[in-house]
Amino acid sequence: MNAKDELLKIFSLNLRTIFGKLSIDYDRLQEIRLRINAPLLIIYENREYFVTDEAKLVDNPSLAAFITKNEIRETMEYISNYSLYAFEEEIRQGFITINGGHRIGIAGKTILEQDSVKWIKHISFINIRLAHQVKGCAVPVLPYLINEDAGGIYHTLIISPPRCGKTTILRDLIRMLSNGSKYQAGMSVGVVDERSEIAACYMGTPQNEVGIRTDVLDCCPKAKGMMMLIRSMSPQIIAVDEIGSTEDLEAIDYVIGCGCKLIATVHGSSIEDIRSKPILGELVKKQLFERYVVMSNRKGVGHLEEIYDAFGKLLYRMDG
Amino acid sequence: MLAIKIIGCVLVIASSTAMGFFFSNEMKCRVDNLKELKKLIVLLRGDIRYASTPLPEAISSIARRSPEDFKTFFQSTSQKLQERSGQTFAEIWKDAVNKELAETSFTKKDKLHLIGFGENLGYLDKDMQINTLDLYITQLEEEITETSKTVKEKAYLYNSLGIMAGIFISIVMF
Repeated sequence: MNAKDELLKIFSLNLRTIFGKLSIDYDRLQEIRLRINAPLLIIYENREYFVTDEAKLVDNPSLAAFITKNEIRETMEYISNYSLYAFEEEIRQGFITINGGHRIGIAGKTILEQDSVKWIKHISFINIRLAHQVKGCAVPVLPYLINEDAGGIYHTLIISPPRCGKTTILRDLIRMLSNGSKYQAGMSVGVVDERSEIAACYMGTPQNEVGIRTDVLDCCPKAKGMMMLIRSMSPQIIAVDEIGSTEDLEAIDYVIGCGCKLIATVHGSSIEDIRSKPILGELVKKQLFERYVVMSNRKGVGHLEEIYDAFGKLLYRMDG
Repeated sequence: MLAIKIIGCVLVIASSTAMGFFFSNEMKCRVDNLKELKKLIVLLRGDIRYASTPLPEAISSIARRSPEDFKTFFQSTSQKLQERSGQTFAEIWKDAVNKELAETSFTKKDKLHLIGFGENLGYLDKDMQINTLDLYITQLEEEITETSKTVKEKAYLYNSLGIMAGIFISIVMF
């Protein structure tokens, strides 16, 4: 069974027929959005389209297929394998990772217990973000991260606005560093995958290729996870996605103090942007990170803009 | 003529006795079936409570541990769930109860309870799920105690009623 069929199985029968007939390249499909009593919407090649009952892409919402309550209920039933209770922890966080590594974001009526979200009932909004691994997308970046003198890599921060492919590039870096490349021997990598985006584990098994020397701590808070991995798996490199909280920074201090190398990503558009952030700015000023990789979607997703060193000196710039 | 009458009487008595035994045996089997079902539901509860195993998987692991009577029921349910054929859990469960439990000695009421239980599986959070399972287990326990209490007397009653009815019909017709 191919990836498309696997994905289609999470939809209600009606939607399955529509998506089955849809003649698009599934590798370039980014998001599918189901909202109760609203038209069916997809994001394809960075553009929004409505989908009609006859599986045509249109711009006019009134022609699009309409999502009913039953459609959402049925889809949720398949997404959760008829067992919402098995995803209690995930539902609290608002998303579920399914086979294939795709992320399903959900929203509805939240049930609170002692100020924290206990459950979401009447799930009415579903956002399916399709996971695509782009093997080799980090090839141009890798040489800049290698520290030939010390025989390892530099502490690296990947800076990128949302939906520009920072997780994709991080994943590919992890894969190459773990497998080894012509620049370095394979290194053991510990990944703290708080939102199951990097390795996209489904029932403990990574759905994305993350390398042969990689250990993944799935769904674990980053700060706790980083310390746990250092104690338990003795990694040479720790990789995390979307750092930013005070606890994260404490853990980063700990990681760096332990002699581990760190690769992290953060939302932002440039080094100046990060420097102006209250907590992260401190790290930049302390010159904790030795390499900054700045990305954008100026020329499509995953566009590499610039690479800087710890002092803000430009090492690489994409022409044009 | 007499010989035919005697043969007729013997047949009538034999068949009504057999019927009596069949009913009493059916009742004993029902208790056994209920006990077995309770055991399996307790296993299901364990799987859900401690491992949060999704239903298709949990049900298929129960199928592996089930006696023959229930094996096909759990197996076909789990298989149907994995197919994601467009039916809801409650519908799949109901179909399976109606189709695959014909070999068991459950009464109509037992099956209705089982169907009702299926309607509350799957879409709730874990606490509610466990509560539903607990409730059904208690329900089964009550049924088992109640039936076990009367099963001896009733079995005796059915047996003797069978024989007596046979004799009675023979006398009337002789």
